[in-house]
Amino acid sequence: MKSRYEAAKNVFIDSIDIDDYIELNSSVAAYKQLEHSIDKPLKMILLFGRPGTGKSILLNRITEKLKHQKEIHYFDTPATNEKEFFHKLFKVLTKKDLPKNTEVNFSALVDFCKNLRGKREIVILLDEAQMYSPEIMEKIRLLSDTRVVKFIVSLHKTEDEDLIAKEHFQSRIWEVVELRNATQDDQAMYIHKKLLKKNLFEVANSIKDKDMKLIHTFTKGNFRECNKLLFTIFEICEYYDKNEPSKIKYENISRKIIEMSAIKLGYIDV
Amino acid sequence: MYDIKPLEEEWKRYKKKKRKPWYLFIFSILIIAALAFSFLNYKDVIFSKFENNESVVVEKPKPSVILLDKALTTLEVKKEIIEKSIIKKSTNDNNVVIETNNASKIDDPMRYKHPNAKKVSITVTEAIKKPVIVEKPRKKMHLDIIETTSASAYRDVAKRFADTSDIDDSLFLARTYYEKGNNKKAIYWALQTNKVDSNIEESWLIFAKAKARSGHKNEAMRILSSYIKRSNSVEAKALLKKLKK
Repeated sequence: MKSRYEAAKNVFIDSIDIDDYIELNSSVAAYKQLEHSIDKPLKMILLFGRPGTGKSILLNRITEKLKHQKEIHYFDTPATNEKEFFHKLFKVLTKKDLPKNTEVNFSALVDFCKNLRGKREIVILLDEAQMYSPEIMEKIRLLSDTRVVKFIVSLHKTEDEDLIAKEHFQSRIWEVVELRNATQDDQAMYIHKKLLKKNLFEVANSIKDKDMKLIHTFTKGNFRECNKLLFTIFEICEYYDKNEPSKIKYENISRKIIEMSAIKLGYIDV
Repeated sequence: MYDIKPLEEEWKRYKKKKRKPWYLFIFSILIIAALAFSFLNYKDVIFSKFENNESVVVEKPKPSVILLDKALTTLEVKKEIIEKSIIKKSTNDNNVVIETNNASKIDDPMRYKHPNAKKVSITVTEAIKKPVIVEKPRKKMHLDIIETTSASAYRDVAKRFADTSDIDDSLFLARTYYEKGNNKKAIYWALQTNKVDSNIEESWLIFAKAKARSGHKNEAMRILSSYIKRSNSVEAKALLKKLKK
């Protein structure tokens, strides 16, 4: 027999699938700010935040929402080298594949962009931009100066990446959108909405306020950590449900299970 | 999930570790409580010793000093009771009591006016103490308090009255306070006596006298009139007559 917790567990598989997007007060505010920034005549926009604050899913959502209104492209995986990146960029700009055994001439690409001024406005979303080399970033800046290509650069907020941001973007970025970790209320709403989206009403109700508080303490409002913790919690629940049902109560998630999950994920050091 | 058992073990270890400071806290609280308890007991022992010593020191030197005391009114009552008991027994103690009591001293009205009367009362009490213990132990307690005649002793009597509702105690307080000139307290204790037993004539008289003395003569007369109606008391009539003059 299939356990009710199996479905709940699968809800929290970490993904940036647009179907998994949950509208929260904080994410709606960030979305509107980003949408508004795209409409401005800016060259570069920085989307900033710690890992797991929802940057990728926000970029994904904005691509889905605006793809019919604007020429918008989402580069979710960073190119491993300059050649690969310009191949991708060439395809976006010319809408053609680069012929085999050829390379992109950067100055020709800049001239091409200059010729497009007033005709097209292209928005490129660069996820995980901290992985691009300083040389690529410098060329991205030169392309954005043509005012034909607008880059939205998503960066992790760590000390090293702060440095990158300072060196390569500070003088060029015209607007910064910062994503923060969720508050306890936002995180509770996130968990509830995720479960309700899959009609897991009883499971959602079994997570009480004190459990939400504990989950927030362990994950510090980070959505990725929250997904991991919830996945583990429901994995343990599933095991008990199938093998030792006396150890589980359907009306609430026991503190023991939450703490066991936290131990497993290393939030608690025994 | 296949590692559930080791995870459960880890969780148990974690819980144990987490509870440890609480156990230590509760243990230290218990230790402190035990120490505090033993200290308080020790303190009680010391104070009780001190109090016993004090009572010996206070009581012994007094008997031979002065004769007259307001509290003697109560002692007279005691004396009568004691005399009766002694007569019943027909023992030689009777002679001792008569001799030591020195009837002329007790009946002397001057004694009530003298401020140092308590010393006599102590002398008398001591002389008749033994028979009282044999016949009426509760009365003996009463006499003990009269011996001290301190403010704390009155408080003790008041406290005892609160516990036992013994009209002897309340009447004693009413009488004593009246004689001391404390009308307010005399009225209060007369009322307390009356609440327990409304047929005690003395409480009515003390109440009326204290009321009159505190300026409420009309009220005193009204109270006396109502008492006379129900009891036809000669003493009440005499007092009413006196107040009307």
